[in-house]
Amino acid sequence: MEITGIEWFVLIGISAIKMGTPLLFGTLGGVISERSGVINLGMEGLMLVGALTAFVVDLRFGSKITAVCMAALVAGLVTTIHAVVSITLRANQIASGLALTLFGTGLSGLFGDRLIGETVVSLNNIPIPGFSAIPILGPIFFNQDIMVYFSYFCVVLIWFVLFKTTLGLNIRSVGEAPEVCDAIGLSVAKYRYACVIVGGMLIGVAGAYFPMVLTSFWVDNLTAGRGWIAVALVIFAFWHPGKALLGAYLFGAAIALQLGLQTMGIAVPSYFLEMFPYILTIAVLTAVTIRNQKSGASVMPASLGLAFFRGEKH
Amino acid sequence: MIYLTLEKRLNFSTWTRIGISIAAVGIALIIGGIFLFAVGVNPLTAYGMVWNQVFMDYWGWQDLMVKMIPFLLTGIAVAVAAQMKIWNIGAEGQLYLGAVAATWTALQWGDALSGWVMIPVMILAAMFSGAMWAAVPGFLRAQFGVNEIITTLLLNYVAISWVDYLLYGPWRDPGSNNFPVTREFSESAQLPLFGDSSVHLGLILGLVAILIVYFILEKTKIGYQIRVAGDNLFAAQYSGFNIKWLTLAIVMVSGALAGIAGMGEVAGIHFRLKQNFSINYGYTGIIVAWLARNHPLAVIVTAFFMASVFVGGELMQLEFRLPIAMVYLFEGIILFSVLGSEIFAEYKLKFKKVGN
Repeated sequence: MEITGIEWFVLIGISAIKMGTPLLFGTLGGVISERSGVINLGMEGLMLVGALTAFVVDLRFGSKITAVCMAALVAGLVTTIHAVVSITLRANQIASGLALTLFGTGLSGLFGDRLIGETVVSLNNIPIPGFSAIPILGPIFFNQDIMVYFSYFCVVLIWFVLFKTTLGLNIRSVGEAPEVCDAIGLSVAKYRYACVIVGGMLIGVAGAYFPMVLTSFWVDNLTAGRGWIAVALVIFAFWHPGKALLGAYLFGAAIALQLGLQTMGIAVPSYFLEMFPYILTIAVLTAVTIRNQKSGASVMPASLGLAFFRGEKH
Repeated sequence: MIYLTLEKRLNFSTWTRIGISIAAVGIALIIGGIFLFAVGVNPLTAYGMVWNQVFMDYWGWQDLMVKMIPFLLTGIAVAVAAQMKIWNIGAEGQLYLGAVAATWTALQWGDALSGWVMIPVMILAAMFSGAMWAAVPGFLRAQFGVNEIITTLLLNYVAISWVDYLLYGPWRDPGSNNFPVTREFSESAQLPLFGDSSVHLGLILGLVAILIVYFILEKTKIGYQIRVAGDNLFAAQYSGFNIKWLTLAIVMVSGALAGIAGMGEVAGIHFRLKQNFSINYGYTGIIVAWLARNHPLAVIVTAFFMASVFVGGELMQLEFRLPIAMVYLFEGIILFSVLGSEIFAEYKLKFKKVGN
C-alpha cells in the first residue's frame, strides 16, 4: 500500500505526540520543582519507578487509572527522599538528584526483574468528537489516548497556577528570593517540599506512559535516557509550561522521525539514528544557552540549586 | 517544650567528618538490608557471606583489587573535574571511548608490535580518545557556559550506541557465532598480570595517575590556579587566570583518566571489546569522588569501598539470583545517606528548652 506524503506526516505527527508526552510530563514536573528552587536530576530514576509501578499495578489489577495514580504516588514518595536530603538536610541538590537516579534505576531493576516477558494492553485512542475531524491536526492532537489529553490539561493548569495565582507567585518567589519570603513569613521549606513532591508525581506519570502506551512490556532501563532529555527540556522551556509543550513535541518528533526512518529501513545503521535525539538535545541546549547569554536577562530561578539557610548568609 | 535544634559546630575536624561518613555508610547498609529482606534474602546471611567470601578470602581480595581499578580511574576523573566545580557525569562514555581506542590499536597493530610498544600505545590512544570525547562538553561549557551535567551525561548514550554499532558491524569477530564481540587481542595487547593472579597493570596505572594528579594539584602553579578557580571563580578571574582554558583542560584530563579505565577493562580483563563491559563504572566514579570529598588520595580508599560493594553485589547475584540493579540501589542509598549526614559535620543536634 502506498502512503501519501500527508498520510506519512500525520503518522509521524501522531507518534511525535506519543513520544513527546512522557517528556512533557517530566518537563512539567521539572518546571514545578525548579521554579521553587530545587533541581531534580533524579528524573530518569523517578520515571523508571513510575514506569514499573504502573506496569505492576496494571498487570495485577488491570485498572489503568489505578496504575497511573499509584505511579504518581510511589514516585512522589521516592522523591520525598530527595526533598528531605536537599531541603531539610541541605545537601547538594545535584548529588542528591544523581543518588535518586541510581536509587530509582536500582529499585526498578530489582523489582522488575521477574516481570520481564509479561505484557499489558495499551491505552486506546479516544477521538474527541468534532475536533478529531479537523484535517491533519485533528488526528494528530485529538485522536489520542486519555493521558495525552490529561497532559494538555496539566499544561494549562500549571501555567494558570504558576502565573495567575498567589500560590504560583509564592512558589516563584521562593525560587527567586527565599530570604525575602522567609522574612515576610512564607515557609520556604513547605513550598519547596510541596513543589518537589508534586513535580516528582508528574515525573512518575511520565514514567507510567512508557509501559501503558509506548511499549506495553517492561525491560530494564525502559526509559533509556528520556528522563535526562526532560532535564534538558526544562532549561529549553525557560521554566515555562507552555514552552515545555513545544519542546517536548519537538523532541517527540525527533524520536518519532528516528523510529520512522528505522522502520523504513534506510541505509543509515540504526545505531546512528539512536544517537540522534541525544545529539539534538546537546545542540539545542547549546543554542538556547548562547541565546540566553546574548539577551542577558535570565529567566532561571535565581536561587535554583541553593539550599536555604535561615538567618545565615550563603 | 523541648525542641531539637541544629547548632553550628565551632570547630570540626576531618576526623569528625570521617566518623560521620562511616556512620552514614553503616546506616546505608541497614537500609539496604531492608530491601534485601524485601526480595526474600536475609540481610545478615548476605552480609556475613560477603564478609567470609570476599574479605576473608584470597580470591575475594583478588576480585576486590581487579574491581577497584576502574573505580580508581573514574573516581579520580570525576574528582579532578570537581576541583573546578565541574560535574563530569560522562565518565561512563569516556570510558567506552577509551576502550574503543584501545581496541582499535590492538586490532590494528597487536600482531605486529611487541607488548613494550603496544601497551604504551594503547594507553595513549585511550587517553586521547577519552579526552577528545570529553572535550566536546568541555568546550561547550568553557566557551558558552552550556550545562556540562546534561551534555556529559547525554554523550554516554551516544558512546554506547557507537560501541554497539562497531560490535554489530565492522568489528564483529567472524568466528564469534554472531555474538557482538571483537576478536581476542593478541598477547602483546593484553595487560600483564601480577603473578598468577588476575590483577592487571591497571592497578599501577590507577595509583600512579592518582599520585600525579595529587602532585599537580598541590605542587604546581596550574594546580594552584585550578584550586583558586574552584574556590572562587571571581578571584581567579581577577588574578588573570585563563578560566576558559583551565576548564577545557581539566575536563579533557578528566576524560583521559576515564579513558584509561576503559582500556584497563578491555585489555586487562576481557581481552576484547564487548557489550556491557562497564557496569556503571563511570557513574560509580561520581560516588567514589563524592565520598572522597574530591581529595585525590582519599579516592584510593573510597574506590576500594565501592569495589567491595560491587564484589559483594556480584556474589549476591550468583548466590541469590538477584539482578545487578541491586548494586545500583545500594549505590543510591549510600550516596543519599552520606549526603544526608553531611549537615551533622557542620552542625550538632541539640536539645533546647523553650518557653515555660
